[in-house]
Amino acid sequence: MHEMAIARNIVNIAVAAAEKEGARKITRVNVVAGELRGIVPAQLVFNFGLMAENTIASGAYLNLEITPVVGRCRKCQEQFVVKDYRYLCTKCRSEDIETVSGTEFRVKDIEVE
Amino acid sequence: MKINVMTDILEANDRIAAVNSDVFNKNRNLVFNLMSSPGAGKTTLLEKTGEALKGKLRLGVIAGDIETSRDAERLEKHKLPVVQLTTGSACHLDANMVASALPHIDLKKIDILIIENVGNLVCPAEFKLGEDYKIMMLSVTEGDEKPLKYPLMFHESSLLLINKIDLLKYTNFNLKEAKANARQVHPDLDIIDISCVTDEGIADWISWLNQHYQKKFGTKTRA
Repeated sequence: MHEMAIARNIVNIAVAAAEKEGARKITRVNVVAGELRGIVPAQLVFNFGLMAENTIASGAYLNLEITPVVGRCRKCQEQFVVKDYRYLCTKCRSEDIETVSGTEFRVKDIEVE
Repeated sequence: MKINVMTDILEANDRIAAVNSDVFNKNRNLVFNLMSSPGAGKTTLLEKTGEALKGKLRLGVIAGDIETSRDAERLEKHKLPVVQLTTGSACHLDANMVASALPHIDLKKIDILIIENVGNLVCPAEFKLGEDYKIMMLSVTEGDEKPLKYPLMFHESSLLLINKIDLLKYTNFNLKEAKANARQVHPDLDIIDISCVTDEGIADWISWLNQHYQKKFGTKTRA
């Protein structure tokens, strides 16, 4: 499953950042994932635990912050949270909406010892 | 101690995708990433497409599958340049796998390259391969609610091909509903109904390809 590939990337990014600062142990990894990424949190956390074994991230807590999909109406510039993937302006009912956020996917920061 | 990282999780993949994209541009390739669930009809569409483009634009295929090279064998019968990528257990292609296929295909002899992704409605949408556009295929035997169940893939695609419309009368698939669902997730989505059995819509698909070739290279025919 792709949660495995993603978990491996998260571990690699966290370990590289920690080693750059000379840290010996990672205790927490904070990840921001847009809702459109369709991440299954339990599965990602499980795979992260597996991938972190035998690295300095072993035993670290993976915190997932899921951010909502935000759209901006190209007609009236209204910015709103897109619920249930309904790309419809809440103000003027236009369907001409650009996605402002909801696809982001990054390691925000880590806590180390 | 807290360390700010702010690194994109798919950055490593995206970097390789950007290199692939450079290679494609240098070789004057228009590249599509074709995604669908298993059995939607991707390989049959590619067979049709190769025939329809014959003598005009040269089609090449990178075919991704978990096991076997059956798809590649089918396409080779049509004398299409094709490379098979078997992913083992991986449920999607990533940019690195595509990069590994490039030495095995003569890109200079290809105008349109279609990368046939592993049949799966979830994972392939996450990984850029270096394509110009993503295309999604949905067959009428799968159900009209799929765009709402698997929104990312529909959101990321430029074109939705609704396949097997010759079977519409045997299913409870509501074409209007399917399109409304897909446009709810992606209002700008192009949609073409096709049947690889009756050839309905195939001409529209070919003209969509031609339009996008012209858009990228400023000419309808190859240099």
